[in-house]
Amino acid sequence: MLKAIIEYIEKSWLLVVSAFIFGLLIAVTNAAWQPKITQNKIAKLDSLMNALIADAEFELILSDVPVELGRGKTAKSNIYKATANDGSCAGFCFGAEGSGFADKIELVIAVDSEFKTIKGYSVLSSNETPGFGDRIVEDYFRNQFIGAPAAVLNLTKKGDETKIDDQIIAISGATVSSTAVVDIFNNYLEQIRAKLIAEGKLADGK
Amino acid sequence: MDKIYVLLMAFISIVIVNNLVFTKFLGICPYLGVSGRIDMAFGMGMAVTFVVTLAGTLTWLIDHFVLMPYGLEVTRYICYILVIAGAVQLVEMYLRKFFPLLYESFGIFLPLITTNCAILGLCLFINLWGIDNFIETVVLSFGAGIGFTLAICIMAGIRESLKIADVPDSLKGAPITLITAGLLTLAFMGFAGMIK
Amino acid sequence: MENKTLGISNVFTAGLWRENPILRLLLGMCPTLAVTTAVKPALTMGLSVIFVLLCSNIVVSLMRKLLKPHLRILMFTLAIATFVTIADLFLKAFQPEMSTVLGPYIPLIIVNCIIICRAEACASKNGLFVSIIDAIGMGIGFTVVLCILGGIRELLATGRIFDIPVMWQSFVPLAAMRMPVGAFITLGLILGLVNLITTKKS
Repeated sequence: MLKAIIEYIEKSWLLVVSAFIFGLLIAVTNAAWQPKITQNKIAKLDSLMNALIADAEFELILSDVPVELGRGKTAKSNIYKATANDGSCAGFCFGAEGSGFADKIELVIAVDSEFKTIKGYSVLSSNETPGFGDRIVEDYFRNQFIGAPAAVLNLTKKGDETKIDDQIIAISGATVSSTAVVDIFNNYLEQIRAKLIAEGKLADGK
Repeated sequence: MDKIYVLLMAFISIVIVNNLVFTKFLGICPYLGVSGRIDMAFGMGMAVTFVVTLAGTLTWLIDHFVLMPYGLEVTRYICYILVIAGAVQLVEMYLRKFFPLLYESFGIFLPLITTNCAILGLCLFINLWGIDNFIETVVLSFGAGIGFTLAICIMAGIRESLKIADVPDSLKGAPITLITAGLLTLAFMGFAGMIK
Repeated sequence: MENKTLGISNVFTAGLWRENPILRLLLGMCPTLAVTTAVKPALTMGLSVIFVLLCSNIVVSLMRKLLKPHLRILMFTLAIATFVTIADLFLKAFQPEMSTVLGPYIPLIIVNCIIICRAEACASKNGLFVSIIDAIGMGIGFTVVLCILGGIRELLATGRIFDIPVMWQSFVPLAAMRMPVGAFITLGLILGLVNLITTKKS
């Protein structure tokens, strides 16, 4: 019995010792760099939101809000409140996602303080086809959303891109990606508004 | 009904639309190395399907019930690779003992599978996509294996015909296989946008 | 003495051309194809691989006399996974943008055949110095090919290198080069070219 134990130890002591050392090594590096990693994530989100609502402080007011994506799928979203320098509410930002042409599209959407007009969106991550679908990050498509009413948006193939209303003109050659973005808006706007009203964070403007 | 629809869509998406070999470049090594003959390719595919289903499910369970509650995410990669290596060992021992016939047909591929990118890749992608549903994880893992089998078998079929084709000398072997794979990815791109 | 230095330079140049991991041994294909959409991610990937390869070769070489045969691969994997985790944390902390671009392909270095192959073929048999030279040679060979591939694809897909426009005005970017098809076909043609050069030489 003892002999067997000694044999095991002889065979595996190196493994045990090195596992311990490697574990220590990872723990030390993690402790040293984790604060920087967390800070990077916050900084990225902040800069994205700042591009949508300028000169404002962002504060997380609701986290992990469940949002129905239809067909039984749900996703979680974080809602941030933007406070302008004079202390008034400048709007809200929230994360949103939906399936695009190839993979998931993740957006950050900003709306005004009364939840009546859209202040724009930024793409957090997407894996759309280069040259077609990935044009959802371009300004000429994104600008159609800035100032559009925060209600049901419609996608059309032809029209005036500079006119701001609930008609969004699709990117030619990338109808699926354009539809995906509009669908994300239609999915999220109503549910996030309802959630904000239910939590008493937004005065019912209707 | 919705639930079944979601699972079905997840399955089709991982097999065809987001095929690991064609869109994420995972498992290219065996894809180039083994896929010379259809029967070998099929054996390899089945072995991968078996291990990837097991590994994907196990890593998901470990991730959600051990690593996340205790804040040990930093050791995730080490845990994943150990689980995969362990799963391969287990499958090998189990097959040798209880299904010697099956072991003979695809047991030789098993040691190769530990370093197959498709398996670790799938575990990482499940984590990246934030799948938090157990059944969906199982379906995705299984689908990934089927997708790999599909890709490797198509390739093997093409390569069997390539043997009698007149390929320029310098392109023979790996280069023409890569170019063929490139054309196959173009074909598979046609499926993109199918899943809403 | 002269013979020894010749041996060392031989080890170093092996990785660059004669036994180049991508062009000759066809190892580590999946990062090669996946991250070479542009030069910058390709370079980041190459440097990460050099770091992991160097560290794992050093560790394996140092304990090569203590290794038990059947626990060998497990030890290699453990060491590699540790250094990959460190590389991943480093990128997340200091290169967050590259970290999101490379995504799961950094942890996938663990199963990159080059590293385990060098640990097995070189570091577990040779001394510290030779292992380090071998790791650097192989790593540079890998990185250079990655960068060439990334450069060709970035140039043809966007007409830029390192985001600096270099092509002429009327150049029409080939978006396909950034898609998987571009990766496969470019690498296939490069391998064909290498075959052509070697057959011509001999």
